[in-house]
Amino acid sequence: MKTIIFAAALTLTTSALLAHSNSNETTPQEGAIVETVEVIELRFDMPMRITVITLTGPEGEVELTRETGLEPVPEFRALLPEEVVVGGYKVDWRGLSQDGHPMQGTFAFTVGD
Amino acid sequence: MEGLSPVDGWAVFAISAKAAGYAAALVAMGGPLFIATFREAPEEVLRLARRAAALAALLGLVVLALRLGIRSARISGIGLAGATDPMMLGLVWDSPLGTAALWRGAGEVLILGLVFRSTLTLAGGVLGALLVAWSYTQVGHSLGEPRWLLASLLGLHLLAAAFWVGALAPLHRAAGRVEGVDLLHRFGIIAGGTVAALVLLGLTFAWLTIGSLGGLFGTAYGWMLIVKLTAVTGLLGLAARNKLRLVPALAAQTPSAPSRLRRAIRLESVVVVLILMATAALTTITTPPANL
Repeated sequence: MKTIIFAAALTLTTSALLAHSNSNETTPQEGAIVETVEVIELRFDMPMRITVITLTGPEGEVELTRETGLEPVPEFRALLPEEVVVGGYKVDWRGLSQDGHPMQGTFAFTVGD
Repeated sequence: MEGLSPVDGWAVFAISAKAAGYAAALVAMGGPLFIATFREAPEEVLRLARRAAALAALLGLVVLALRLGIRSARISGIGLAGATDPMMLGLVWDSPLGTAALWRGAGEVLILGLVFRSTLTLAGGVLGALLVAWSYTQVGHSLGEPRWLLASLLGLHLLAAAFWVGALAPLHRAAGRVEGVDLLHRFGIIAGGTVAALVLLGLTFAWLTIGSLGGLFGTAYGWMLIVKLTAVTGLLGLAARNKLRLVPALAAQTPSAPSRLRRAIRLESVVVVLILMATAALTTITTPPANL
């Protein structure tokens, strides 16, 4: 039952990525297993103003350095620290689309061998 | 379900505030439209229309301020503290909601003037109603393409809706008075045209943003629209019954007619609230298929 609820919640949240400013493109991709990660990227069909982005890893929140400011952009970039530990990571973001709608989304990836 | 945004406590709060804002805007816009159309109505009814519009305009201004805070909280990700965060509020103010808030605020202030009875304040009120309708075309789904067609459809849809919703309280008052029959009868004739326009404008807007049966039955937006249309159908049924049965019964001085008509108008108001809640959900947590 928990799995179903989790899957439903995940479907709901990833669908937010599609809303208003279409986006199904992230780096790393949703569910990807990568050896290492240096940058988080979000791509949208229409410019999006990203107001908040957080990265949570196995050891808690990871500090991101925003390369993109608060201006509306079709592609958002934020850099990670040089050393990232192995494990599961989750990105949460919020923003404002061009038509004024508040937007949010989340995706997860794994750093491992 | 495709095109459904995450629904958290803040989203529910945002929907409720938006629906309250819709109700306030429609009653505020509808007041001057009602007074300008039915200048011969009993003075007591016109006074109620003026007061209801001014009160709704005041409520609208409060809700507007609240909504800027709610949106700021939603994009901040830090909850209540985000509602007063100057940077987040600044971003919301720079967004289309800020532009819409300026026009709507100006319109609602003009409508406030209706507390004073004069031709000048009425002209200001009608201008205010147009500004409030205009404000809604500056934000949200009507910013899609074809931009000016969507904006025109929405603006006129809102004016037609306001003419109906803003008339409910004055008509409720008129239904309790013998000399109110003429007013109710005239409203029924005019509303026949404005309600048809209201529905046609809304359906055209929906057709442009949905575009296919798959969009209607395959998306959250489509399903929420079906919920809204179901309630609208119920409202049309109530209105038709008032026009075809209860108003003629009132004219024939049937003893039970005033109370039955007044009860029917109160029920109409309840259905309007449901429609506004569905509309607020439609414009807050769902994405038009045309944008997917």
